[in-house]
Amino acid sequence: KPVPQPPAQANAEVVLTYASPYPPGHPFSKADIDWMRHVEQASGGRIAFRPYWSGALLSSDMSMVEIRHGLADIGLITPIYSRGGAHLLRAQSGFYGGVKSLQDQVAVYDCLAGQFPQFGKELEGLHVLAVQGGNFPGVLTRDRPVRSLADLKGLRLRAQSDAIDVLRELGADPVNMPMGEVYSALAKGVIDGVVAPADTIKSLHFAEVARHFTALHFSRGAYPARAMSDAAWRRLPPDLQALMTQSKPVWEGALARQILKAEKDGVAYASGHGVEMLALPPADQRRFAALYNIFALRQAKGLSAYGIDGVPVLTEAQRLIAGGEIRCPAGISGVSK
Amino acid sequence: MTERKASPSGQDHPSPEDTMADLVSDVPAQAHGPLARIAYLLGGFGLLGATAADTLAVAGRHTGLHLLGSIELVQAMVVILASSAMLIVTIVHGHASVHMLTERLRAVTAARLARIAALLSAFVFLVFAAGSAWIGAELWNGHEQTELLHIPLRWLRLLWTVFAVLIAWRFLRYALRADGGHEA
Amino acid sequence: MIAPELIGLCGILILLAMLAAGVPIGNSLSLVGLGGLAVMISPQAAVIKAGVVSFEVIMKYELGVLPLFLLMAHLCFAAGASRDFFDVAAKFVGHRRGGLALASIGGCAGFGAISGSSLATVATISSVALPEMRKAGYHPGFASGALAAGGTLGSLIPPSGALIVFGIIAEQSIGKLFAAAVVPGISQAIFYMIAIVILCAFMPGLGPATARVPWSERLRSLRKVIDIFALIVFVIGGLMIGWFTPTEAASVGVTCAMLLLAVRGQFSRAAMVDALQSTLRTTGMIYVVIIGALLFATFVSITGITDALSGIVRDLDASPLTAIIVMALLLLLLGSFLDGVALMLLTTPIFLPIAVDLGYSPIWFGIFLVRTMEIGFIHPPLGLNIYVIQGIAKDLSLGTIFRGVIPFLAADFVHLGFLIGFPALTLWLPSVVGG
Ligand code: NA
Ligand code: NA
Repeated sequence: KPVPQPPAQANAEVVLTYASPYPPGHPFSKADIDWMRHVEQASGGRIAFRPYWSGALLSSDMSMVEIRHGLADIGLITPIYSRGGAHLLRAQSGFYGGVKSLQDQVAVYDCLAGQFPQFGKELEGLHVLAVQGGNFPGVLTRDRPVRSLADLKGLRLRAQSDAIDVLRELGADPVNMPMGEVYSALAKGVIDGVVAPADTIKSLHFAEVARHFTALHFSRGAYPARAMSDAAWRRLPPDLQALMTQSKPVWEGALARQILKAEKDGVAYASGHGVEMLALPPADQRRFAALYNIFALRQAKGLSAYGIDGVPVLTEAQRLIAGGEIRCPAGISGVSK
Repeated sequence: MTERKASPSGQDHPSPEDTMADLVSDVPAQAHGPLARIAYLLGGFGLLGATAADTLAVAGRHTGLHLLGSIELVQAMVVILASSAMLIVTIVHGHASVHMLTERLRAVTAARLARIAALLSAFVFLVFAAGSAWIGAELWNGHEQTELLHIPLRWLRLLWTVFAVLIAWRFLRYALRADGGHEA
Repeated sequence: MIAPELIGLCGILILLAMLAAGVPIGNSLSLVGLGGLAVMISPQAAVIKAGVVSFEVIMKYELGVLPLFLLMAHLCFAAGASRDFFDVAAKFVGHRRGGLALASIGGCAGFGAISGSSLATVATISSVALPEMRKAGYHPGFASGALAAGGTLGSLIPPSGALIVFGIIAEQSIGKLFAAAVVPGISQAIFYMIAIVILCAFMPGLGPATARVPWSERLRSLRKVIDIFALIVFVIGGLMIGWFTPTEAASVGVTCAMLLLAVRGQFSRAAMVDALQSTLRTTGMIYVVIIGALLFATFVSITGITDALSGIVRDLDASPLTAIIVMALLLLLLGSFLDGVALMLLTTPIFLPIAVDLGYSPIWFGIFLVRTMEIGFIHPPLGLNIYVIQGIAKDLSLGTIFRGVIPFLAADFVHLGFLIGFPALTLWLPSVVGG
């Protein structure tokens, strides 16, 4: 729902609508608000925002199409959940095996996006204003702790579809159910656990229904997460376009801060609420990472079904991650140049 | 919520068979024509298909035989049954509407209003068809599909687009009739 | 530029005008929603939103359970469930004063646990119970009043079509909503029973006692419903224990109902076709209205009109309780010309944000909304249940039935007061079973 509008809007040269499926109190939204404040100030009040939260304006699955057609000027996008038209953006988030930090995720993404034109093709009509990494999901289990990969055998786990093959390989029994049903499914023992990042221990109240969290480090990559429509971009004079470009690191920084804070809150909450935090033995973690990469390669090869050559993207991502310091100039436009 | 055709004069009451939801009252039990038959067939297929998919998923879960992606099968079935159902309810004049005022009007005025209502309704479904076709065309080569079973969504979008056009066409026919299609 | 709130207000007025002119409810909602988006954003945005929302609704897994629950009820109806429920209850309590009326409430509650709707419940139980009560010399107004009120149990006791739809619009767990409805649904039935006992104590002529049935026959009669009872226990129980999710429960229910039909020797092609066709007709109407409601909700939320309204509520410094009572009165008022799910879909986008703003839980609010809406099914001038009953007993005047329903309306208001006064009645069970 729209937040009461600040008086500044009346005098602004450009009023931009911003839409997100999350409520204003969500960590993502807090970062969004930080960025909007920054842009309003840096533009000297020439830009103002009119935000719409909680999915009031944009749908969560189709937001890329909706922004392209001007439902909102700027919005949250999730190409990793899109069912079509963004297959590389979706798959590449699984190419980051071994990446160390949120910042590195974003840096690798910028390099890949600058190098492979398919990224721009999938983002046609959109200008990416922020790239976002994610916390590493682990395995949260009800009453059967996962202390080694062998413990996964026979566990019925809710997992996102890209983790399903790996889990099956390890003898687990992955199920796909809506996230909204996970809490009660855990409470009733319909499932033994869920693959989710540590922040859900608090944010989704999983501490009430699960006793163990194992840091399994499912690889998580970065993806373009906030975008502006071409039409809205063209409405901005060149100096304000430049301001948007310069503000990209501000948004990304705010997102990283909020995401890390959510994870820290989840971990702190876990210790206060009797959730045991477990780590895998290093050998198991390495075996898991190797296995994960085998499936990443399979995913990359599978992209050929859509006419996309994914293997060079995976190879380049892994080369960058192995090479240490990662730095590429961030491009703001989705259109490949 | 019900179709408010039940009038204070006590005419046209819903029969038990046709009041299985609060949303329907005196819908004629039979609809004729090949279009209705196809819609009923597709809809029935969707209902039974969705039932089978989820029942097998539950049974499988309890016997260790897993049917991953049953949710996606159900979703595809629901697209088929919901599209058919919306066409059916249009063919049998079963849409929920308020009749409290219109039934007190002179027959000529009521018929004129019914024709306008049908015209507006046709417009609504044309917009659905247009939006759905637009998105479908943009994503046609984007290989839109479900996550696990890779059910291609472009055919489902196309199905809904076609049904939206058929529904609009039905409403348009009512709008062109002298009585607004109410004496079907 | 016109203030967005003003555009919102115009939209609502245009909506009311179209509804009055007989434009189908769902299409009116869509027209205003899309027209509003075209004016406030752009025609292109409106067309795209129409494409996105319509397809999203028909592909929604959680909404797909609604037609399946409808199908389950149709199949149980074909199997004769409604007659059996009433017959058994009548054998147990028919010999008491008002016993057949008590049995009617019991029958409605029982069938309500299969059916998702109020009208279906009242129609099926009345066709069985009303002739029986009249044969036994019951006052016709009293008999029909009890049935009209009892029928509303169908829309609150899970499965509930209204709650599924609310869950979709309000993005709340359907399992939690079902769990939340159990105590209010059962207590509602008890309130009706208390009303019957009190009425018959003071006016014994209303519901004369019938012949006592020996216990052996009573117990024997139980066999008639044992299979349906098993079905309900299996579906509701399995859902609570976690054998299947609330969404899967619908499919399991349909499968069991088909088995039931087969076990009772009533499985036939004609019965199946009839159940499927009736389900599809109702389903189509529901989807059209839901698509409209979601488009309308998008428009309403970008106009900021709900913020303006809740701002007014805050400025008036009214207590949350006062605000809820005002909402209940508004719903009852609107319920005299619109009712059921349409009323809910129209008002949820406006009322829910205000209620949440005032500190009410969305789950509680869903139960409150359905409970208030149910009352609209029996209050004059347009209580739908009353027309249903009059359709079954054409010699009864509407006035007779409306007078007969008054004591039950009183019970309804007291019950609604309880739900408002003690939110724990609603919120306790979902907190225990975890939805
Ligand atoms: Na029910
Ligand atoms: Na209902």
